[in-house]
Amino acid sequence: MSVSTVKTKTPLQKSSTGKRYLKKYWQLYAMMLLPIIYFILFKYVPMFGNILAFRRYRPGMGAYGTEWVGLRYFKLFWGDPAFWRAFRNTLVLSLGNLLINFPIPIFFAILLNEVRHEKFKKAVQTISYMPRFISTVVVIAILGEMLSPSSGLINQLLQDVFGIEPIYFMNEPGWFRILYIFTDTWQFTGWTAIIYLAAITSISNDLFEAAEIDGASRIQQIFYVTIPSILPTIMVMLILNVGRMLSLGFEKVLLMYTPSNSEVSDIIDTLVYRTGLANQNYSYATAIGLFSGIIGVILVTSSNALSRKFTGDSIY
Amino acid sequence: MRKKYNTPGSVLFDIIIYIVMIVSLIVCLVPFIYMFAVSLSNPTAIINKEVSLFPVGLTFSAYKQIFTYPNFFNAYGNTIFYTVVGTFISLVMTTLFAYPLSKGFLKGQKFIMKMVVFSMFFSGGLIPNYLLVSSLKLTGTVWAMLLPFAINQFNLIILINFFKSIPTEIEEAALIDGLDYFGILRKIIIPLSTAAIATVGLYTAVFFWNDWFNGLIYLNTKQFPVMLFLRNIVNGTAMVGDAAGSADKTTIAISIKSAVIITSTLPIIVLYPFLQKYFVKGLTVGSVKG
Repeated sequence: MSVSTVKTKTPLQKSSTGKRYLKKYWQLYAMMLLPIIYFILFKYVPMFGNILAFRRYRPGMGAYGTEWVGLRYFKLFWGDPAFWRAFRNTLVLSLGNLLINFPIPIFFAILLNEVRHEKFKKAVQTISYMPRFISTVVVIAILGEMLSPSSGLINQLLQDVFGIEPIYFMNEPGWFRILYIFTDTWQFTGWTAIIYLAAITSISNDLFEAAEIDGASRIQQIFYVTIPSILPTIMVMLILNVGRMLSLGFEKVLLMYTPSNSEVSDIIDTLVYRTGLANQNYSYATAIGLFSGIIGVILVTSSNALSRKFTGDSIY
Repeated sequence: MRKKYNTPGSVLFDIIIYIVMIVSLIVCLVPFIYMFAVSLSNPTAIINKEVSLFPVGLTFSAYKQIFTYPNFFNAYGNTIFYTVVGTFISLVMTTLFAYPLSKGFLKGQKFIMKMVVFSMFFSGGLIPNYLLVSSLKLTGTVWAMLLPFAINQFNLIILINFFKSIPTEIEEAALIDGLDYFGILRKIIIPLSTAAIATVGLYTAVFFWNDWFNGLIYLNTKQFPVMLFLRNIVNGTAMVGDAAGSADKTTIAISIKSAVIITSTLPIIVLYPFLQKYFVKGLTVGSVKG
């Protein structure tokens, strides 16, 4: 509705069109009533609850603290070595994870697409994305049993085949990042590959036929047809991944956390959990959480803007 | 596709592909097979490292034992309750929200969509959420498990996109026939969207089935879901095998752990082959782009 038409109407007319509009659509608004209340209460109230980062919390005096303390808690964690350790661990773990687990599903999808036996292809695909639906608790429990130094399958193999003494994988700091990244590969490769497979199947056959006539081998076709054609999908996935980079699998890290590997396994989220919920240092933990949340938003918006500028594709 | 498949390079490529695929299959499946084998094996065979892919000294004692353990049954029942009720609430709320939001002409729709998308990128965070749930006095009640997760934004967008793809002519005809919007939603939209609703329902059910962290921070021991029970067994906070002699407690614990892993994952593994087409659908139906 343009401004000029609104201005020419008398207040009476305006309210009657409003009434007619409501009479026609009130049910659609009624449907949204409960969900909107839900959204305000469970998504937006906690968002504003972040003001606790700037206020002092006292038990039993409400969730929003008692008095303003400004940037006190931010200055506190800024000077806290535990925060910087968690910050470094978060960066290293997420970069390592991105570097390894971003390309693997792309390779997997490209190779799977080259499988000509349709039933075998379907079977591999179906089985490969099943781990996505397994609980993190179960994944880490299985990992713990497979790697157990006293009975686990892996140590059993290492001992029988290579004669290596049992390794305490779950406790040694040196193994933590490798295990975190590998379990992510195990759990999500098949699932993420579905998106790339869908992109590959939508490539026009003419392109492959033209390449064929020009004498391109199968591998050349992958490099000159398949990969360039799915590049937009790869870019969108990269933005999503960079944007989500800091939100590591908090639950998984918490499950893998042991005092002996805390040097590398303490990330920002586990630090927030420990200082906030275990030590009830609510304001301090909220300040750290808010800081990493804001970095997350900056990452998403900037990677999105970059992608729009360079590829024309963006997620919103 | 008429590709050259008989050149030596192509044959070698095929061999590499099949090796990669078979290795992937093995890596995917071995952990489950190993757990299954351990859960059915004799404790002494486990500790002597004789168990790999097949049970050694076949015994059902681990399963017999967890079935006598009241906390296990209790936790399993809790999980079923959270999954059924949580999925129901979530589907009702998500559908009620998605249908009006699929109407681009509705005043305020764009604003609400923006608020929804914004909440996907910036959320309250752990502590404000925790303080909200406790100030609502939900801590220690089953509602702490059910309400905070009633609407997932990704699932909402899947449904919105699906509803948008339903031709509006059907609705216009129904409106002329005197049906109101509640009637259209109930009699036309929902029956036409069973596949999309099933997909979203499955994602939600899997979420509730696998959830443990919210149980940990909000609930009392008696209300724990089975995944939290399993986690407590794994890190030693919960005792297993009290009934057994203390001498072989650790060895028994290994097969019991595996039995709990198998029983708590079984519903997903068993239903998965029948439902997997719905699992994939969400990826193709809904995208954030909208």
